[in-house]
Amino acid sequence: MSSVRLQNVSRHYRNVRALDDVSVEVASQSLTVLCGPPAAGKSVLLRLLVGLEQPDQGRIFINDRDITDVPAAQRRIGYVPQSFALFPHVSVFENIAYPMALQKVGRAEIERRVDQVAEILRIKPLLTKRPAQLSGGEKQRTAIARGMLKNADLFLLDDPLVGLDFKLRESLMEDLKDMRAELGATFLYVTSDSLEALTMAEGLIVLDAGRVVDANAAAELYHRPRHLRAAELVGFPRCNVLRGVLEAGGLCRTGIVDFRLEQPTNFVGEVAVAARPEHIWHRSDGAPATIRLMENIGAECVVYFQVGDETLVTSVPSPSVAHLDMGSPFPFAVSAEGLLVYDRATGALLGRGQERANA
Amino acid sequence: MPDIRLSHVSRVFGAFKAVDDITTVFPEGTVTCLLGPSGCGKTTLMRMIAGLETPTHGSIRFGERDVTHLPPGKRDVAMVFQYPVMYRTLSVIENIELPLRRDRAVSEAEVRRRADEVLEVLQLSGERRRHIGDLDVGTRQKVAVGRAIARQCDVILFDEPTTNVEVHAKLALIRAFKEFRARLRQTVIYVTHDQTEAMTLADQIALMQSGRISQCAPPHVMYDQPESRFGGWFLGNPGMNFLSPRGQDGQGLRFDVLPGALAVPANADGELSLGIRPEHVDVLHEPAEDTVPARITRSSITIGGQHLLSLAVGETRLKAKTAPGAPPGDGSTVFIRCRLEHAVLFNDGLRLPEPVRRAG
Repeated sequence: MSSVRLQNVSRHYRNVRALDDVSVEVASQSLTVLCGPPAAGKSVLLRLLVGLEQPDQGRIFINDRDITDVPAAQRRIGYVPQSFALFPHVSVFENIAYPMALQKVGRAEIERRVDQVAEILRIKPLLTKRPAQLSGGEKQRTAIARGMLKNADLFLLDDPLVGLDFKLRESLMEDLKDMRAELGATFLYVTSDSLEALTMAEGLIVLDAGRVVDANAAAELYHRPRHLRAAELVGFPRCNVLRGVLEAGGLCRTGIVDFRLEQPTNFVGEVAVAARPEHIWHRSDGAPATIRLMENIGAECVVYFQVGDETLVTSVPSPSVAHLDMGSPFPFAVSAEGLLVYDRATGALLGRGQERANA
Repeated sequence: MPDIRLSHVSRVFGAFKAVDDITTVFPEGTVTCLLGPSGCGKTTLMRMIAGLETPTHGSIRFGERDVTHLPPGKRDVAMVFQYPVMYRTLSVIENIELPLRRDRAVSEAEVRRRADEVLEVLQLSGERRRHIGDLDVGTRQKVAVGRAIARQCDVILFDEPTTNVEVHAKLALIRAFKEFRARLRQTVIYVTHDQTEAMTLADQIALMQSGRISQCAPPHVMYDQPESRFGGWFLGNPGMNFLSPRGQDGQGLRFDVLPGALAVPANADGELSLGIRPEHVDVLHEPAEDTVPARITRSSITIGGQHLLSLAVGETRLKAKTAPGAPPGDGSTVFIRCRLEHAVLFNDGLRLPEPVRRAG
């Protein structure tokens, strides 16, 4: 069952197409991440669902009921906006309780639920304080708590952890996943951080320039993105995009790796080949390259290296490159298996690579 | 270049000890990253080194020189802030040269030479005539770095300079930082809450918690041998697993994740926990030596296509990272092996010095 369904939804602002003929579904009781670059239309999509804006075209269904013309106040949707406005003159408790008070929930029930959510978000000691006494992170958690408390089975979270400390984000991600499971609710979750997207997502929707370029279960979308932009926008570190040519007979040449597709295709012409970091590794007898930058994440090291005038990126276990630095040689090899080949003109997926033809 | 010596430095705001009795030395010509969560005191400590804040107690020396009560202008420090502070109507080169011209001791030829040098090191030569107002935040921040370097102060302080910079510009900035480090050896203090930045840039990381330095060590030492649970948790993505013993018997300490027992260390008199990083937990499909069965409760794709698994063994919950490829699904059973050569034991949150050993 789908919790949310958009059918040919468009939203224009003057001559900007913020959303352009979007049809997509969000599975019920899932945590679905909506990702994409800035101005892709992510926040607009959420605002349409909440009812803060109306689509120019198309219909919106929640739990299979057409709610396109239902006013915002009558939609039972929890919403954590990106920029949160807390009431400065009342306590954190009253701020969190506000949406439930509007829904005329009894006082005892309000207290029970505020207590519960405050426990999860670790803001219990703050309930009697005023917003002005809170740090930025504490205000943000208060806003999340308020959005989460509405009596609803669909919650929209617009980049709720942006700007928070890394470690706080790490634990809140776990908490939000637990919270979703406990509530048995559907979360539609926007983030602009690609690692956060992968960590959170059961399902993924990738928006680019107002259009859905791919939507799928997270693992499926990661391994087989159906559009070049989806490959580029999902994954950390970002995937490498090589220019190549697909020849008659199905041989793909990129200059860095030549290979055949798993399945034959009639396409002949210019292609873009997406190589994820895990398709590239450091090998002493590999092709020559030079390290431009190394970022140490802890267990892994992200290595940016130069081949000709292209910079490629891979991630390798940190101990394996501890002796290297900027400017060091970095011989490398590329696995053809799993490389993704796209029509360079349209971004459409043509197929996946199989083991190297001329190895 | 001088070292920076802190002796019993504290800064108290009302009842709140922002910095609490820190005594340490940041060696000359090295990069020290002050790393820690919001409110740990890292920014206050840096501001005292800069002279923007006066310690409530203690003294600060640059080499032999006591600077505790000197104003910023008399300390020979340059600073790069979170938001680049620039003359928006002036060009890149003018912004870099202006502070140098104010210093009468620097000749005009020297001003030009230094400005050209930093533009080259930071790969800003192409931008020299552009107005600051026309540049993106990342490039502006690069100019701010250039201006700080060109002053050739003994000490340069960075206050989370990449916070407001988008990811590509951030990488360019980190690269620029590395380039200038390879050529010039000022004593650098770099404040950040970003562990990757600290691990990437630092000669040593000073990890801060509640106004104190909990550990000061080179990045790989800090990562492999955290002195406290806090350090093990703070570094790593995600942080270290901390596993409580199920109990202790004649053989030794029993853990859900280990088939045998661990030798009880000599001075283990408090609450014990075994620390092991997710990448040091092997996940196998078949039982093998030293494995125990575990249930996968959750999985997601993480860095470089690896899988991050949440696992349950009895009452114990832990995380493991596995190589790219198809993982077993949620709810399925796998067999895990903790690589004890990478594990550490904490006693009341502090690491015990001896290596972790199996009993017998």
